[in-house]
Formats: sequence, C-alpha cells, structure tokens
Amino acid sequence: MFTRLREISFKTGALILILLLAALIVAVLISIVTHTSAQALITSLTSGEIWFAIRLSLATSIISTLICLFVSLPAAYALTRYNFWGKSILNTILDVPLALPPLVAGLGLLILFGTTSFGKGLSEIGIKFVFTPMGIVLAQFFVNVPFTLRVLRSTFQNINPRYEYVAQTLGYTEAQSFYKVTLPMAKSGLMAALVLTWCRGIGEFGAVLMIAGATRFQTETLPISLYLNMLCGELPMAIAAATILIVTSLVMLFFFERFSSSAGVF
Amino acid sequence: MISIRNISKDFGDFVLNDVSLDIRDGEYMVILGPTGAGKTILIETIAGIYRPDSGRIFLNDLDITGLPPRMRNVGIVYQDYMLFPHLTVRKNISFGLKAKKIRGDEGTERVKELAEMLGISQLLDRYPLTLSGGEKQRAAIARALVLEPEVLLLDEPLSALDDETRDRLQEELHRIHSVTGTTMLHVTHSFNEAFLLGSRMAVMDKGEIIQVGEPGEVFRKPNCKFVAEFLGVRNVFRGTAVIEGETAYVNVNGLRMASANLREGEVYISIRPEDILVFPGYIESSTKNSFRGKVVDISDTGTVVRIKVDAGVPFVVAVTRRSLVDMRLRTGMEVFLTFKSDDVHMF
Repeated sequence: MFTRLREISFKTGALILILLLAALIVAVLISIVTHTSAQALITSLTSGEIWFAIRLSLATSIISTLICLFVSLPAAYALTRYNFWGKSILNTILDVPLALPPLVAGLGLLILFGTTSFGKGLSEIGIKFVFTPMGIVLAQFFVNVPFTLRVLRSTFQNINPRYEYVAQTLGYTEAQSFYKVTLPMAKSGLMAALVLTWCRGIGEFGAVLMIAGATRFQTETLPISLYLNMLCGELPMAIAAATILIVTSLVMLFFFERFSSSAGVF
Repeated sequence: MISIRNISKDFGDFVLNDVSLDIRDGEYMVILGPTGAGKTILIETIAGIYRPDSGRIFLNDLDITGLPPRMRNVGIVYQDYMLFPHLTVRKNISFGLKAKKIRGDEGTERVKELAEMLGISQLLDRYPLTLSGGEKQRAAIARALVLEPEVLLLDEPLSALDDETRDRLQEELHRIHSVTGTTMLHVTHSFNEAFLLGSRMAVMDKGEIIQVGEPGEVFRKPNCKFVAEFLGVRNVFRGTAVIEGETAYVNVNGLRMASANLREGEVYISIRPEDILVFPGYIESSTKNSFRGKVVDISDTGTVVRIKVDAGVPFVVAVTRRSLVDMRLRTGMEVFLTFKSDDVHMF
C-alpha cells in the first residue's frame, strides 16, 4: 500500500518537474519577444544594421556548414569503414573541440592565425582570418565540425557495409557503390547533420568573438550584434537579433526532429 | 569451375587457415559449419571483398585473386537480404544491368523473366520495406542472378525465414539450380539444407575445411569427432583397434566391437542408430557384434523412437513405433543389441 503510494507520488513529482522545466523555457522565450513593443521590434528588424547581421550570419553559416559537410563526409566514412593504425587516438582528437569551450577554441585560432609565422604567412598571401568574415567562417567550422562528424559517423555506422559489397559484385566500383547505395541511404542522417551544423553556425558566438572581433558593420553576425547592442544599451536592437535567432532555432529544431527520427528507417 | 587453393587470411580475431576447395561447374556445393566457422568470410573472399594474405582463387583456370568484385561475375545473396531500401524491387533487380550498361528490351526482358521465375512479378513496383522476408529473399536472389553469374554465393539465405517460407524457398533454390544450371555455393549451419540441396558439401570449423563429400557419404563416414558430433551422428566411441585377419577389433571400455575398416591404434568409431538391431531375448546370430544391455531411457519423438541402452557403453538405438509395442520395450528391461561389422565406421 505504502510502496504503491510512493510510486504514484514519485511519478507525480517527476511530471510536475517536467512541467516546471517546460514552463521556464517557454517563459524565457516569451519574455524576450514581448519585452519591447511590436512597433519598436519592427523598426529594429528593418534597420540596416540588423539586415547586415542577417546577411553576414547567413553567408558565413552556409559557407561553414558546406565546408563542414565537405570535410566530414569522407572523414566519417573512412572512420567507420576502414581500420588503420592510430584510429582510436584520431577519433579522440577529432572530438576535442566538442568539449572545448568555444572561447578557448577562438583564442587558439587567434594565436595560431594571428601570431605564428604560419598565420602571418597566410596573411601575406592574402588569406586573412583575424578580424575578418573569413575568420567567422573559420571559427564556426572549427567549433562545429566535430558535431557534423559525429552525426555522419553514426549514420554510416548504421548502414551495413554489405549493401556496398552487393553493389560491387553487381559491377560497381567502390566509389560508385558509395554514391549509388550508401549516400542515398544516408540521406536522412545527412540532412540532420546539415541542419544541426547550420543551426550551431548561426548561433556561434565565443569563438567568433575571439578571432573575428566585434566590429559594427564588419564582423557583426546576429549573436555579435546582440552582444554589441546590449553593451550600448540598445535593447530593441538586441531583442530584434535575439528574436531572429529564436525563430531560426525553432524552425531548425523542427527539421532536425523530422530528419533524425526518419534517419532510423533503414 | 572455381578452385580455391590454400587461402589464408588473418583478421586478428578471426583466421581462415589454408582453405582449399574445388567447386565444379553447375554443382550445388554447401558449406556447413557452426557459427563463427568462417563460412561467410570464405564466400566474401571468393566474391573479392577481402584479399587473402596467401593462396589463390581460380575461376575457369583464370587467376582472379587480385580482381575486384565487379570483374569476377559472382552473385551474392545474404541472410539479411541487403535489398537497397531506396529502390523499388524492379530497380533492385536491374541494379546490375545499369552498371554493365545493359539497357532497353534486353534488360527489361531479363528482369521480367527473373521476376516470373521467382514469382515476384506483382511486387516489382513495391519498396523492400513493404515485403515479407520470403519476398525479400526472392528479390535478392533475382538481383544476384541478373548478370547471369558464374557462381551464386548464398550466405545463410534461409536462416532468417520462418519454417514454412524456408521450406518453400528451399525447393525454389533447388528449382533455380536445375533450371539455370548456375553453380551454387550455399553457406549454412543447417544439416537439413546441406542434405536436401547439396550435391556435395564441405564441413568447416575454426577457419578450416574439415571434410568434403556427398552429404550422405559425409553423414555415413564422418572423418573426425567434430564432424560426427556436428552432424548429430550418435554412438561415437573412442577405443584401441587391433587387426585380426579380415577384421579389426576395437576395445571400447571393455567391449570388443568388430569393424570392417582395417585400422590399428587409437581410433573413433561410429554406428548409426538405425543400423543397430534390438531383441528382447538372446538370439543366436552370425554377427560378431552382439551385446547385452539394459534399457535406460525411451524417447518418443512421434516419428521415430530412440532408446538408450547401457551395455557397458551407452548406445542410442532407433526403433520403429511398431517394434516398440511388439517387443513391449520399457526402461529397466534387458535386451540384446546386434550390428554388422560393416556398419561400424572407423575414423
């Protein structure tokens, strides 16, 4: 009798906790969006500065996402399909940026590309990362590529290599069987990786701040814009940037859920 | 003809050890062995997925050891079907045609013929996810046959199916073999499949081929204890043999059994339960092997009755239900066992 009662109260307690947590999240989002008047919000959203931030955020995050995919696709495939010496150490190293605070990653990038002869050499031939939009792309790429790699790695891991073996006995080369069989089967995982990487790229702040700095109309992505406007007390502008970030996150989350749930179909 | 010569491959946790096997043209060869015997790795090596560390593989006297899978013209069918989930059954079957640039009427005709032969014509526009296990395996077989391979490799093709589907597909494989004449290499751990399908079989264990022969032959004359036990051969005894004239006598735990196989020293012998006769009382018999024992167990499986008799060594004897009733056999009863020396197989 008492154990039964305890079980029920445990269940009720857990449910209440979940509700409280959900309420907190919704409250945070709503309080941002409703803080200023709609009029002020629209004015800020249509301002030149916010438009600049939107365009820069979109451009840098799309480019960094594509680079992440371009690098992760073959890397993830190799890490799941081939055995080679040092594979487990390599796997660990590739995961390091996952655990590293983005500020630290950004600091490292700044020092490597700003102060060493390697960075200076690149800068001399016109490849400048410090305080430039290219630096934003680099920071987003560095911080996000382990996530892309992880999603794709588990995607390929879930696809039996024997599908490719069958394709190879049917007249296809290794590369052809990858394109004709594994890649189409990995479609959902690929989309999930794409959405996740892009979403994280748009929101990346710490690493971007360190290497690209926070300069208005120059390296002002949406998170940087939010930060700059908060510093100067321009609350409506900060909230405009935040609102856009909230909307993109929610849309991305919707797509991510869709792709990651259907990723298990095959 | 496929000739596998001294293939070895070390996978670290698994080893193929000096495997040699000849598969004749048009033959249905079954490789039988327990899980982990290396059967799948052997056929994947034949398919060209793995390159052996040493040894060579010949296909019609051509050395194909270094050729990639796509140039070997072998078809492969797996236990888990491995149908491409993003393609319809039709596109799965015609997958090989595209790579070999076989297009138009010829391709359409081949797909149609194969689908008809396997009874899946009505499923051609469906996706694999919507098919039953048996239907998937038919589609996978059709896909593997589309390029008219020199050899069809079947990796436990029936193991994932329910009993009824398995029986039907087993007959289907037999029919496909006789209709197309394709050389088949079928891997399984089921002796039934080996017996019903195989024109010859090879028993494999721990990465080695242990015995090759016609299924009946291997069953009657296993060449070692592993094969005997794996095939469920009963009455396997170990003893010391001496030859006296035309007969070898094997001393098993004090019992002297006569065998027509003339060998000396430490040997294993086996006597099939069907070859032992049982009598309720002593009878004069010309057979050299006649022993007194006590019935210790009777197990009635419905079709055959097996009785265990302790005659100093434990014998398993198969009797018909009729004789069980006629002789009023029951546990504790004293009986006599006789069998011919021809039926005492030595290995």
